[in-house]
Amino acid sequence: MTRAAPRSIEDYLKQLREALKDADPALIQDALYDAEEYLRAEVASHPEKSEADVLELIASTYGAPEEVAAAYKDTEAKVSAALRPVQPKSAQSPSAIRRFFGIYSDPRAYTSLFYMLLTLATGIVYFVFVVTGLSLSAGLAVLIVGFPFFLAFIGIARVIALGEGRLLEAVTGERMPRRPVHPGAPTGIWSRIIDMLKDPRTWTTLAYLLLMLPLGIFYFTIAVTGIAVAGALVVAPLATLADRFGWLPMEVSTIQMHPAWLASPLGGVFTVALGVVILTAVMHGVRGLGRAQVALARGLLVRPGA
Amino acid sequence: MDDHARKFQKDLNAGLVALVLLAVLDQTSEDLYGYEIAKRLQKANEGEALFKEGTVYPVLRALSANGLLTSRIVPSYAGPPRRYYRITDEGRAVLKDWSGIWRQTRNFVDRFIEGVER
Repeated sequence: MTRAAPRSIEDYLKQLREALKDADPALIQDALYDAEEYLRAEVASHPEKSEADVLELIASTYGAPEEVAAAYKDTEAKVSAALRPVQPKSAQSPSAIRRFFGIYSDPRAYTSLFYMLLTLATGIVYFVFVVTGLSLSAGLAVLIVGFPFFLAFIGIARVIALGEGRLLEAVTGERMPRRPVHPGAPTGIWSRIIDMLKDPRTWTTLAYLLLMLPLGIFYFTIAVTGIAVAGALVVAPLATLADRFGWLPMEVSTIQMHPAWLASPLGGVFTVALGVVILTAVMHGVRGLGRAQVALARGLLVRPGA
Repeated sequence: MDDHARKFQKDLNAGLVALVLLAVLDQTSEDLYGYEIAKRLQKANEGEALFKEGTVYPVLRALSANGLLTSRIVPSYAGPPRRYYRITDEGRAVLKDWSGIWRQTRNFVDRFIEGVER
């Protein structure tokens, strides 16, 4: 409360950002958008007053930055508590085994798995987009269209980055920005362009999009290999059994288990159990990778709060 | 207002702001954005404002996230794009319930504070 009252919209937004600095980056972005909408409209509706005069009264109408920050934090806490699915409260904390297999009742595990499979496709698209965009920009740089082309390329990259964030929020449930980054004060087009080129986020976004190809290949491989290995382990003893009873339509006498004791009933039980454990571990791994991906996306796609 | 009064007002506002926002959006046929809504509330206020206009925005977002309002974004020349809100059928149903609860609560409270000096 000891801080001087903001005298300009930029001041106000800066103080609001500071007051929110521990909050989620996406929440900060929402709050800044809302505040700027209000402040600009308020200034515009009092053309006879200067910006500083309007801002002087803002603490009693819109609220001081600290008050507004507190309102966002309160509401966000309440809403996320209300929207979170109610966890059945068992008397004791669930046992380790329960927690291990509980992953199957976590919808985020399945959506993360879907994301892992999807990233191969999105990774290729992003990579081709960035490489094509950059090389065409470089190639066209000698012509007049080169620069506008480059700007359009960066603009589309930002839209893709926002879309990627929305996708990540949908599959992992972690909050990501819901709107494009706010452009700041309306200034000339040239200073906007320079700001954009100086903004490290522009370049980290491109890095993220490039990085998604190797990451996508990695995720896809993990998901497919994990499921295939686990699935094979679960199915193999059953197939061996069916083969022995002659239930398989064709000659599949090629099913061989090494070492041979795996073909015994006990070995079969062991193989199925191993398959189930591996599948469960893969589900945990996929869920964890989804969270790690969110952290990466927050680092590279979202402008830090401060 | 002293601290006690302020705290009391804040606790009361927690649910009432949402109720008032739903009512405002129910009474209008057009979509409204945050600033317009805030100004309509301010106009209705007599004397000291019951709540800061800045607290309206996060509640709008919360109502929207819960499906009681829908919103769309419209680019604006005057600053960042504006988010326009409209009430949903679910929001109208909730508004009806909440209005009933509010009337009942108000009547109940009034019965007790009738004799309290102003």
